[in-house]
Amino acid sequence: MEFIFSAEVKDVLARRGLKEDDVKAVVEYGESSKDKIVSGDRNLAKKEIGDITVYAEYGVNGGKATITTAYSHRMKVLGIVLDSEDTDWVYAKNGEKVRGGHTDLSFMGTTRSGPSLVEPKSGESWIEEYLAASALAAAEGLFEQKRA
Amino acid sequence: MGYEELFPKNDVDGWHANAAKRFASPFVDNPHDRIDVDPIMLSHAAVACGFTIRDFYEKPELGIHCVGYISEMYDLLPVTHWFFSLPWIRELGMTLEYKDTLPPVPTGPILSSPEEIEALEPISKEDLKKGTTLPMFYNLYDYVSEHLAHTLVPISYGFDLVGAPAELIGVEEFIMYTFTEPDLAHKLVDTFVETSIAGADGLSDKYGSAMLIVGSVLANNDIFADEQVEEFSANYMRKYVDQSFRRGAGPQVFYHLCGNHETSYKVFRDKLVWSPFTVMHVGYQGPKVFPGELLKEEFEDVATCLGSVDTKLMINPNPKAVYEQSKELLLATRDAKKGYILGNSCECPPYTIPGNLLAMTRAARDYGTYGTW
Repeated sequence: MEFIFSAEVKDVLARRGLKEDDVKAVVEYGESSKDKIVSGDRNLAKKEIGDITVYAEYGVNGGKATITTAYSHRMKVLGIVLDSEDTDWVYAKNGEKVRGGHTDLSFMGTTRSGPSLVEPKSGESWIEEYLAASALAAAEGLFEQKRA
Repeated sequence: MGYEELFPKNDVDGWHANAAKRFASPFVDNPHDRIDVDPIMLSHAAVACGFTIRDFYEKPELGIHCVGYISEMYDLLPVTHWFFSLPWIRELGMTLEYKDTLPPVPTGPILSSPEEIEALEPISKEDLKKGTTLPMFYNLYDYVSEHLAHTLVPISYGFDLVGAPAELIGVEEFIMYTFTEPDLAHKLVDTFVETSIAGADGLSDKYGSAMLIVGSVLANNDIFADEQVEEFSANYMRKYVDQSFRRGAGPQVFYHLCGNHETSYKVFRDKLVWSPFTVMHVGYQGPKVFPGELLKEEFEDVATCLGSVDTKLMINPNPKAVYEQSKELLLATRDAKKGYILGNSCECPPYTIPGNLLAMTRAARDYGTYGTW
Protein backbone atom coordinates (compact mmCIF):
# COMPACT_ATOMS: atom_id res chain seq x y z
CA MET A 1 0.00 0.00 0.00
CA GLU A 2 1.23 3.48 -0.86
CA PHE A 3 0.87 6.19 1.79
CA ILE A 4 0.42 9.90 1.20
CA PHE A 5 1.24 12.35 3.99
CA SER A 6 0.74 16.02 3.12
CA ALA A 7 3.08 18.64 4.59
CA GLU A 8 0.25 19.72 6.93
CA VAL A 9 -0.26 16.17 8.17
CA LYS A 10 3.49 15.70 8.65
CA ASP A 11 3.45 18.87 10.72
CA VAL A 12 0.59 17.50 12.87
CA LEU A 13 2.50 14.24 13.37
CA ALA A 14 5.62 16.11 14.40
CA ARG A 15 3.70 18.26 16.90
CA ARG A 16 2.08 15.18 18.39
CA GLY A 17 5.27 13.13 18.50
CA LEU A 18 3.94 10.45 16.16
CA LYS A 19 5.99 8.45 13.68
CA GLU A 20 4.90 7.95 10.08
CA ASP A 21 5.70 4.23 10.39
CA ASP A 22 3.33 3.89 13.33
CA VAL A 23 0.56 5.62 11.41
CA LYS A 24 1.19 3.32 8.45
CA ALA A 25 0.95 0.33 10.78
CA VAL A 26 -2.44 1.56 12.04
CA VAL A 27 -3.75 1.93 8.49
CA GLU A 28 -2.43 -1.47 7.43
CA TYR A 29 -4.03 -3.05 10.49
CA GLY A 30 -7.36 -1.30 9.82
CA GLU A 31 -7.38 -2.36 6.19
CA SER A 32 -6.33 -5.97 6.72
CA SER A 33 -8.61 -6.65 9.71
CA LYS A 34 -11.52 -4.30 8.85
CA ASP A 35 -11.19 -3.20 12.48
CA LYS A 36 -12.00 0.38 11.53
CA ILE A 37 -14.98 2.69 11.33
CA VAL A 38 -16.12 4.25 8.10
CA SER A 39 -18.15 7.35 7.21
CA GLY A 40 -18.40 8.00 3.47
CA ASP A 41 -14.81 8.04 2.26
CA ARG A 42 -13.42 8.61 5.76
CA ASN A 43 -11.80 5.70 7.59
CA LEU A 44 -10.71 5.74 11.23
CA ALA A 45 -8.53 2.94 12.57
CA LYS A 46 -6.70 2.53 15.87
CA LYS A 47 -3.98 0.29 17.16
CA GLU A 48 -2.17 -0.03 20.46
CA ILE A 49 1.52 0.58 19.88
CA GLY A 50 3.58 0.31 23.02
CA ASP A 51 1.87 2.29 25.78
CA ILE A 52 -0.23 4.44 23.51
CA THR A 53 -3.21 3.98 21.23
CA VAL A 54 -2.55 5.52 17.82
CA TYR A 55 -5.37 6.58 15.51
CA ALA A 56 -5.21 7.29 11.80
CA GLU A 57 -7.93 8.91 9.76
CA TYR A 58 -7.49 8.33 6.06
CA GLY A 59 -9.03 7.87 2.66
CA VAL A 60 -8.29 4.88 0.40
CA ASN A 61 -8.27 4.98 -3.37
CA GLY A 62 -6.69 2.39 -5.70
CA GLY A 63 -4.19 1.05 -3.20
CA LYS A 64 -3.22 4.51 -2.00
CA ALA A 65 -4.00 5.69 1.54
CA THR A 66 -4.14 9.43 2.04
CA ILE A 67 -3.67 10.25 5.71
CA THR A 68 -5.84 13.19 6.80
CA THR A 69 -4.86 13.22 10.46
CA ALA A 70 -3.39 11.08 13.22
CA TYR A 71 -3.40 11.31 16.99
CA SER A 72 -2.93 9.22 20.10
CA HIS A 73 -3.79 8.90 23.76
CA ARG A 74 -2.21 7.14 26.68
CA MET A 75 -5.41 6.12 28.48
CA LYS A 76 -6.43 2.51 27.98
CA VAL A 77 -9.88 2.05 26.47
CA LEU A 78 -12.07 -0.24 28.60
CA GLY A 79 -15.80 -1.01 28.45
CA ILE A 80 -18.72 1.06 27.18
CA VAL A 81 -20.56 2.99 29.89
CA LEU A 82 -23.28 4.74 27.87
CA ASP A 83 -24.45 4.89 24.29
CA SER A 84 -26.58 7.87 23.46
CA GLU A 85 -27.13 8.72 19.81
CA ASP A 86 -26.43 7.59 16.26
CA THR A 87 -23.50 8.93 14.29
CA ASP A 88 -22.58 8.68 10.61
CA TRP A 89 -19.89 6.11 11.36
CA VAL A 90 -20.26 2.36 10.70
CA TYR A 91 -18.01 -0.37 12.13
CA ALA A 92 -16.53 -2.07 9.06
CA LYS A 93 -16.03 -5.38 10.84
CA ASN A 94 -19.72 -6.08 11.53
CA GLY A 95 -21.61 -3.37 9.62
CA GLU A 96 -23.18 -2.01 12.81
CA LYS A 97 -23.92 1.69 13.32
CA VAL A 98 -21.46 3.46 15.59
CA ARG A 99 -23.04 5.63 18.28
CA GLY A 100 -21.94 8.54 20.39
CA GLY A 101 -21.43 7.50 23.98
CA HIS A 102 -19.04 7.12 26.85
CA THR A 103 -16.35 4.60 27.65
CA ASP A 104 -14.37 3.82 30.77
CA LEU A 105 -10.76 4.87 30.37
CA SER A 106 -7.95 3.68 32.59
CA PHE A 107 -4.75 5.58 33.35
CA MET A 108 -2.23 5.21 36.16
CA GLY A 109 -4.51 2.84 38.04
CA THR A 110 -7.57 5.08 37.82
CA THR A 111 -10.70 4.38 35.80
CA ARG A 112 -12.93 7.27 34.73
CA SER A 113 -15.38 7.65 31.88
CA GLY A 114 -14.99 9.88 28.86
CA PRO A 115 -16.90 10.73 25.67
CA SER A 116 -16.30 8.33 22.80
CA LEU A 117 -17.69 6.66 19.72
CA VAL A 118 -19.05 3.24 20.63
CA GLU A 119 -20.35 0.13 18.91
CA PRO A 120 -22.34 -1.73 21.57
CA LYS A 121 -22.52 -5.17 19.89
CA SER A 122 -18.76 -5.58 19.65
CA GLY A 123 -18.04 -3.48 22.74
CA GLU A 124 -15.52 -1.44 20.75
CA SER A 125 -14.86 2.27 21.39
CA TRP A 126 -12.93 5.00 19.62
CA ILE A 127 -11.79 8.38 20.94
CA GLU A 128 -12.24 11.35 18.59
CA GLU A 129 -9.39 13.64 17.68
CA TYR A 130 -10.69 16.77 19.41
CA LEU A 131 -10.78 14.89 22.71
CA ALA A 132 -7.50 13.05 22.39
CA ALA A 133 -5.68 16.22 21.39
CA SER A 134 -7.07 18.53 24.08
CA ALA A 135 -9.35 17.45 26.94
CA LEU A 136 -7.95 13.91 27.31
CA ALA A 137 -4.38 15.10 26.94
CA ALA A 138 -5.06 17.66 29.68
CA ALA A 139 -6.73 14.95 31.78
CA GLU A 140 -3.68 12.71 31.41
CA GLY A 141 -1.53 15.61 32.63
CA LEU A 142 -3.85 16.19 35.59
CA PHE A 143 -3.76 12.50 36.52
CA GLU A 144 0.03 12.64 36.54
CA GLN A 145 0.02 15.82 38.64
CA LYS A 146 -2.59 14.60 41.10
CA ARG A 147 -1.04 11.16 41.44
CA ALA A 148 2.32 12.74 42.24
CA MET B 1 -2.00 48.87 47.34
CA GLY B 2 -3.06 45.60 45.72
CA TYR B 3 -5.55 43.27 47.38
CA GLU B 4 -2.76 40.74 47.91
CA GLU B 5 -1.30 43.05 50.55
CA LEU B 6 -4.40 42.55 52.70
CA PHE B 7 -3.80 38.84 53.23
CA PRO B 8 -1.08 36.72 54.81
CA LYS B 9 0.07 33.94 52.51
CA ASN B 10 -1.62 30.55 52.74
CA ASP B 11 0.27 27.77 54.49
CA VAL B 12 1.25 26.33 51.12
CA ASP B 13 3.50 23.52 52.33
CA GLY B 14 1.26 22.47 55.18
CA TRP B 15 -2.47 23.01 54.84
CA HIS B 16 -2.53 23.52 51.08
CA ALA B 17 -0.35 20.53 50.24
CA ASN B 18 -2.61 18.29 52.30
CA ALA B 19 -5.81 19.84 50.91
CA ALA B 20 -4.49 19.33 47.37
CA LYS B 21 -3.97 15.61 47.99
CA ARG B 22 -7.46 15.37 49.47
CA PHE B 23 -8.97 17.27 46.54
CA ALA B 24 -7.30 14.94 44.02
CA SER B 25 -8.28 11.74 45.80
CA PRO B 26 -11.79 11.12 44.40
CA PHE B 27 -10.61 11.73 40.85
CA VAL B 28 -7.56 9.49 40.90
CA ASP B 29 -8.76 6.69 43.19
CA ASN B 30 -6.04 7.56 45.64
CA PRO B 31 -7.78 7.97 49.02
CA HIS B 32 -6.29 10.58 51.29
CA ASP B 33 -7.29 11.59 54.82
CA ARG B 34 -11.04 12.17 54.43
CA ILE B 35 -13.80 13.11 52.04
CA ASP B 36 -13.53 16.71 50.90
CA VAL B 37 -16.00 19.47 51.77
CA ASP B 38 -17.00 21.99 49.11
CA PRO B 39 -19.76 24.25 50.41
CA ILE B 40 -19.66 26.26 47.14
CA MET B 41 -17.97 29.19 48.79
CA LEU B 42 -18.65 32.59 47.21
CA SER B 43 -19.44 35.86 48.97
CA HIS B 44 -19.35 34.27 52.43
CA ALA B 45 -15.58 34.33 51.99
CA ALA B 46 -15.67 38.13 51.69
CA VAL B 47 -18.03 38.47 54.67
CA ALA B 48 -15.78 36.20 56.74
CA CYS B 49 -12.83 38.45 55.91
CA GLY B 50 -14.71 41.62 56.90
CA PHE B 51 -15.79 42.78 53.44
CA THR B 52 -19.26 43.00 51.94
CA ILE B 53 -21.25 40.93 49.49
CA ARG B 54 -21.02 43.86 47.11
CA ASP B 55 -17.22 43.94 47.50
CA PHE B 56 -17.09 40.28 46.53
CA TYR B 57 -18.83 40.82 43.22
CA GLU B 58 -17.65 44.32 42.39
CA LYS B 59 -13.98 43.54 43.08
CA PRO B 60 -13.39 40.04 41.66
CA GLU B 61 -9.68 39.92 42.59
CA LEU B 62 -10.52 40.78 46.20
CA GLY B 63 -13.36 38.25 46.15
CA ILE B 64 -11.24 35.38 44.88
CA HIS B 65 -8.43 36.20 47.30
CA CYS B 66 -10.98 35.95 50.14
CA VAL B 67 -12.01 32.50 48.85
CA GLY B 68 -8.40 31.32 48.70
CA TYR B 69 -7.60 32.69 52.12
CA ILE B 70 -10.67 31.58 54.05
CA SER B 71 -10.62 28.05 52.60
CA GLU B 72 -7.62 27.40 54.83
CA MET B 73 -9.55 28.36 57.96
CA TYR B 74 -12.40 25.99 57.11
CA ASP B 75 -10.05 23.32 55.66
CA LEU B 76 -11.89 23.29 52.32
CA LEU B 77 -10.70 23.06 48.72
CA PRO B 78 -7.18 24.04 47.67
CA VAL B 79 -8.51 25.80 44.55
CA THR B 80 -10.26 29.12 44.04
CA HIS B 81 -13.33 30.13 42.10
CA TRP B 82 -15.26 33.35 41.68
CA PHE B 83 -18.44 33.80 39.74
CA PHE B 84 -21.98 35.02 39.55
CA SER B 85 -24.82 33.43 37.63
CA LEU B 86 -25.10 35.85 34.70
CA PRO B 87 -21.90 35.80 32.65
CA TRP B 88 -21.89 36.96 29.03
CA ILE B 89 -25.24 38.77 29.10
CA ARG B 90 -23.66 42.21 29.19
CA GLU B 91 -22.18 41.45 25.79
CA LEU B 92 -25.70 40.57 24.63
CA GLY B 93 -26.80 44.07 25.59
CA MET B 94 -27.98 43.84 29.19
CA THR B 95 -26.95 46.11 32.01
CA LEU B 96 -26.09 44.66 35.40
CA GLU B 97 -26.44 46.59 38.62
CA TYR B 98 -24.34 45.86 41.69
CA LYS B 99 -26.29 45.47 44.93
CA ASP B 100 -25.23 45.56 48.57
CA THR B 101 -26.76 42.21 49.47
CA LEU B 102 -27.00 40.33 46.18
CA PRO B 103 -24.93 39.27 43.20
CA PRO B 104 -25.26 41.68 40.24
CA VAL B 105 -28.82 41.80 38.90
CA PRO B 106 -30.09 42.88 35.46
CA THR B 107 -31.77 46.27 35.28
CA GLY B 108 -34.55 44.82 33.14
CA PRO B 109 -35.37 43.04 29.90
CA ILE B 110 -33.98 44.50 26.70
CA LEU B 111 -36.01 42.60 24.11
CA SER B 112 -39.75 42.84 23.72
CA SER B 113 -40.74 41.65 20.27
CA PRO B 114 -40.29 38.44 18.30
CA GLU B 115 -38.45 40.46 15.63
CA GLU B 116 -35.88 41.60 18.18
CA ILE B 117 -35.34 38.02 19.32
CA GLU B 118 -35.02 36.80 15.74
CA ALA B 119 -32.35 39.44 15.14
CA LEU B 120 -30.27 38.35 18.12
CA GLU B 121 -26.84 36.99 17.17
CA PRO B 122 -24.26 35.11 19.28
CA ILE B 123 -21.20 37.13 20.25
CA SER B 124 -17.98 35.93 18.65
CA LYS B 125 -14.83 35.12 20.58
CA GLU B 126 -13.12 38.17 19.09
CA ASP B 127 -15.94 40.46 20.22
CA LEU B 128 -16.02 38.85 23.66
CA LYS B 129 -12.35 39.75 24.02
CA LYS B 130 -13.36 43.40 23.56
CA GLY B 131 -16.29 43.10 25.98
CA THR B 132 -16.61 42.98 29.75
CA THR B 133 -16.84 39.36 30.89
CA LEU B 134 -13.86 37.74 29.20
CA PRO B 135 -11.39 40.54 30.08
CA MET B 136 -12.75 40.40 33.63
CA PHE B 137 -11.92 36.68 33.82
CA TYR B 138 -8.51 37.29 32.18
CA ASN B 139 -7.73 39.90 34.86
CA LEU B 140 -9.02 37.60 37.58
CA TYR B 141 -6.94 34.58 36.57
CA ASP B 142 -3.89 36.71 35.87
CA TYR B 143 -4.22 37.99 39.44
CA VAL B 144 -4.55 34.44 40.77
CA SER B 145 -1.56 33.33 38.67
CA GLU B 146 0.52 36.08 40.26
CA HIS B 147 -0.67 36.00 43.85
CA LEU B 148 -2.44 32.67 44.49
CA ALA B 149 -0.87 30.45 41.86
CA HIS B 150 -1.24 27.35 44.04
CA THR B 151 -5.04 27.74 43.81
CA LEU B 152 -5.38 28.48 40.08
CA VAL B 153 -8.04 26.71 38.02
CA PRO B 154 -9.20 28.80 35.03
CA ILE B 155 -12.95 28.32 34.87
CA SER B 156 -15.43 29.31 32.17
CA TYR B 157 -19.08 29.62 33.08
CA GLY B 158 -22.09 28.72 30.99
CA PHE B 159 -24.21 29.13 34.04
CA ASP B 160 -27.36 29.18 33.79
CA LEU B 161 -28.03 28.35 30.14
CA VAL B 162 -31.79 28.89 30.49
CA GLY B 163 -32.05 31.47 33.26
CA ALA B 164 -29.53 33.90 31.80
CA PRO B 165 -31.09 34.22 28.32
CA ALA B 166 -34.54 34.34 29.96
CA GLU B 167 -33.49 37.66 31.49
CA LEU B 168 -33.23 39.15 28.00
CA ILE B 169 -37.03 39.17 27.69
CA GLY B 170 -37.92 38.74 31.35
CA VAL B 171 -38.19 35.39 33.11
CA GLU B 172 -42.02 35.22 33.17
CA GLU B 173 -42.24 36.08 29.49
CA PHE B 174 -39.61 33.46 28.69
CA ILE B 175 -41.53 30.76 30.55
CA MET B 176 -44.64 31.68 28.52
CA TYR B 177 -42.60 31.50 25.32
CA THR B 178 -41.51 27.93 26.08
CA PHE B 179 -45.22 27.03 25.72
CA THR B 180 -46.48 29.51 23.15
CA GLU B 181 -43.40 30.37 21.05
CA PRO B 182 -40.90 27.56 21.64
CA ASP B 183 -38.85 28.46 18.56
CA LEU B 184 -38.19 31.91 20.00
CA ALA B 185 -37.32 30.42 23.40
CA HIS B 186 -34.86 28.11 21.64
CA LYS B 187 -33.41 31.05 19.72
CA LEU B 188 -32.72 32.88 22.99
CA VAL B 189 -31.13 29.87 24.68
CA ASP B 190 -29.11 28.89 21.63
CA THR B 191 -27.74 32.42 21.23
CA PHE B 192 -26.62 32.45 24.84
CA VAL B 193 -25.11 28.96 24.57
CA GLU B 194 -23.17 29.87 21.41
CA THR B 195 -21.87 32.98 23.18
CA SER B 196 -20.89 30.93 26.24
CA ILE B 197 -19.04 28.46 24.01
CA ALA B 198 -17.12 31.37 22.48
CA GLY B 199 -16.29 32.46 26.04
CA ALA B 200 -14.92 29.02 26.92
CA ASP B 201 -12.93 29.09 23.68
CA GLY B 202 -11.48 32.49 24.59
CA LEU B 203 -10.50 31.34 28.05
CA SER B 204 -8.89 28.08 26.91
CA ASP B 205 -7.00 30.06 24.23
CA LYS B 206 -5.23 31.98 26.96
CA TYR B 207 -4.78 29.34 29.66
CA GLY B 208 -4.56 26.12 27.62
CA SER B 209 -7.61 24.62 29.26
CA ALA B 210 -10.74 25.78 31.03
CA MET B 211 -12.88 24.03 33.58
CA LEU B 212 -16.56 24.34 32.67
CA ILE B 213 -19.30 25.13 35.18
CA VAL B 214 -22.83 24.84 33.88
CA GLY B 215 -26.16 24.58 35.65
CA SER B 216 -29.80 23.82 35.20
CA VAL B 217 -31.24 26.41 37.53
CA LEU B 218 -34.37 28.02 36.10
CA ALA B 219 -35.07 24.72 34.32
CA ASN B 220 -36.20 22.69 37.31
CA ASN B 221 -39.35 20.83 38.32
CA ASP B 222 -40.86 23.80 40.18
CA ILE B 223 -41.33 25.42 36.78
CA PHE B 224 -40.97 22.84 34.04
CA ALA B 225 -41.95 19.25 33.32
CA ASP B 226 -39.15 16.77 32.71
CA GLU B 227 -39.62 17.01 28.93
CA GLN B 228 -39.02 20.76 29.00
CA VAL B 229 -36.01 20.43 31.28
CA GLU B 230 -34.57 18.03 28.72
CA GLU B 231 -35.53 20.19 25.74
CA PHE B 232 -34.43 23.57 27.04
CA SER B 233 -31.69 22.65 29.49
CA ALA B 234 -30.10 19.19 29.24
CA ASN B 235 -29.77 19.32 25.45
CA TYR B 236 -28.07 22.71 25.62
CA MET B 237 -25.82 21.71 28.52
CA ARG B 238 -24.64 18.87 26.31
CA LYS B 239 -24.06 21.25 23.41
CA TYR B 240 -22.18 23.71 25.62
CA VAL B 241 -19.77 21.11 27.00
CA ASP B 242 -19.36 19.17 23.74
CA GLN B 243 -18.65 22.27 21.67
CA SER B 244 -16.42 23.82 24.34
CA PHE B 245 -14.37 20.61 24.47
CA ARG B 246 -14.04 20.74 20.68
CA ARG B 247 -12.47 24.19 21.11
CA GLY B 248 -9.95 23.12 23.71
CA ALA B 249 -11.83 23.66 26.99
CA GLY B 250 -12.17 21.06 29.72
CA PRO B 251 -11.36 18.50 30.93
CA GLN B 252 -12.98 19.44 34.26
CA VAL B 253 -16.75 19.88 34.34
CA PHE B 254 -19.05 20.80 37.20
CA TYR B 255 -22.77 20.21 36.59
CA HIS B 256 -25.01 22.02 39.05
CA LEU B 257 -28.69 21.04 39.02
CA CYS B 258 -30.06 23.78 41.22
CA GLY B 259 -33.42 23.82 42.93
CA ASN B 260 -36.00 21.06 42.69
CA HIS B 261 -35.09 18.23 40.30
CA GLU B 262 -37.55 15.78 41.81
CA THR B 263 -37.92 13.73 38.61
CA SER B 264 -36.01 15.78 36.04
CA TYR B 265 -32.71 14.45 37.35
CA LYS B 266 -33.49 11.43 35.16
CA VAL B 267 -33.07 13.35 31.90
CA PHE B 268 -29.40 14.23 32.42
CA ARG B 269 -27.44 10.98 32.65
CA ASP B 270 -27.91 9.94 29.03
CA LYS B 271 -27.66 13.49 27.71
CA LEU B 272 -24.62 15.10 29.27
CA VAL B 273 -20.94 14.80 28.41
CA TRP B 274 -18.97 13.06 31.14
CA SER B 275 -15.24 13.72 31.18
CA PRO B 276 -12.77 11.96 33.50
CA PHE B 277 -12.97 15.01 35.80
CA THR B 278 -16.70 15.59 36.13
CA VAL B 279 -18.58 16.48 39.32
CA MET B 280 -22.37 16.08 39.48
CA HIS B 281 -24.45 18.05 41.94
CA VAL B 282 -28.24 18.01 42.45
CA GLY B 283 -29.79 20.40 44.97
CA TYR B 284 -33.25 19.27 45.98
CA GLN B 285 -35.87 16.61 45.46
CA GLY B 286 -39.08 18.51 46.14
CA PRO B 287 -38.63 20.44 49.38
CA LYS B 288 -35.95 18.07 50.69
CA VAL B 289 -32.28 17.89 49.84
CA PHE B 290 -31.52 15.46 47.06
CA PRO B 291 -30.98 12.01 48.62
CA GLY B 292 -27.42 10.71 48.63
CA GLU B 293 -28.55 7.18 47.72
CA LEU B 294 -30.31 8.42 44.60
CA LEU B 295 -27.44 10.67 43.55
CA LYS B 296 -25.10 7.72 43.82
CA GLU B 297 -27.41 5.30 42.02
CA GLU B 298 -27.95 7.62 39.08
CA PHE B 299 -24.52 9.18 38.58
CA GLU B 300 -21.76 7.18 40.30
CA ASP B 301 -20.81 5.40 37.06
CA VAL B 302 -20.08 8.63 35.26
CA ALA B 303 -19.06 11.29 37.76
CA THR B 304 -17.85 12.24 41.20
CA CYS B 305 -20.95 13.03 43.27
CA LEU B 306 -21.32 16.27 45.24
CA GLY B 307 -23.77 16.06 48.14
CA SER B 308 -26.26 18.65 49.31
CA VAL B 309 -26.49 19.83 52.90
CA ASP B 310 -29.49 22.17 52.95
CA THR B 311 -28.35 25.79 52.61
CA LYS B 312 -31.19 26.81 54.92
CA LEU B 313 -29.45 24.92 57.71
CA MET B 314 -26.28 26.91 57.15
CA ILE B 315 -27.82 30.10 58.57
CA ASN B 316 -29.68 28.32 61.36
CA PRO B 317 -27.92 28.50 64.75
CA ASN B 318 -27.87 24.74 65.12
CA PRO B 319 -24.54 23.16 64.11
CA LYS B 320 -25.77 19.77 65.33
CA ALA B 321 -28.48 19.76 62.64
CA VAL B 322 -25.82 20.43 59.98
CA TYR B 323 -23.65 17.70 61.45
CA GLU B 324 -26.50 15.16 61.44
CA GLN B 325 -27.48 15.90 57.85
CA SER B 326 -23.83 15.75 56.78
CA LYS B 327 -23.47 12.42 58.56
CA GLU B 328 -26.57 11.03 56.84
CA LEU B 329 -25.30 12.09 53.41
CA LEU B 330 -21.81 10.76 54.04
CA LEU B 331 -23.06 7.36 55.18
CA ALA B 332 -25.28 7.08 52.12
CA THR B 333 -22.85 8.29 49.49
CA ARG B 334 -19.27 8.08 50.71
CA ASP B 335 -18.55 4.88 48.78
CA ALA B 336 -19.73 6.25 45.41
CA LYS B 337 -17.69 4.54 42.69
CA LYS B 338 -16.03 7.67 41.34
CA GLY B 339 -15.80 9.50 44.62
CA TYR B 340 -17.86 11.80 46.77
CA ILE B 341 -17.56 15.37 48.02
CA LEU B 342 -19.77 16.82 50.75
CA GLY B 343 -21.38 20.08 49.66
CA ASN B 344 -24.29 22.44 50.14
CA SER B 345 -27.47 22.34 48.08
CA CYS B 346 -26.43 25.64 46.49
CA GLU B 347 -24.07 28.53 47.19
CA CYS B 348 -22.84 28.74 50.77
CA PRO B 349 -25.06 31.58 52.07
CA PRO B 350 -23.17 34.86 52.61
CA TYR B 351 -24.01 34.93 56.31
CA THR B 352 -23.34 31.26 56.94
CA ILE B 353 -22.58 30.59 60.57
CA PRO B 354 -18.93 29.48 60.85
CA GLY B 355 -19.92 26.82 63.41
CA ASN B 356 -22.09 25.21 60.72
CA LEU B 357 -19.18 24.94 58.31
CA LEU B 358 -17.16 23.38 61.10
CA ALA B 359 -20.02 20.89 61.56
CA MET B 360 -19.64 19.81 57.91
CA THR B 361 -15.89 19.27 58.15
CA ARG B 362 -16.29 17.61 61.54
CA ALA B 363 -18.79 15.15 60.03
CA ALA B 364 -16.39 14.51 57.13
CA ARG B 365 -13.62 13.76 59.65
CA ASP B 366 -15.90 11.46 61.64
CA TYR B 367 -17.68 9.64 58.81
CA GLY B 368 -15.72 10.43 55.67
CA THR B 369 -12.39 8.82 56.39
CA TYR B 370 -11.51 6.07 53.94
CA GLY B 371 -11.77 2.61 55.33
CA THR B 372 -13.80 -0.54 54.98
CA TRP B 373 -17.25 0.86 54.39
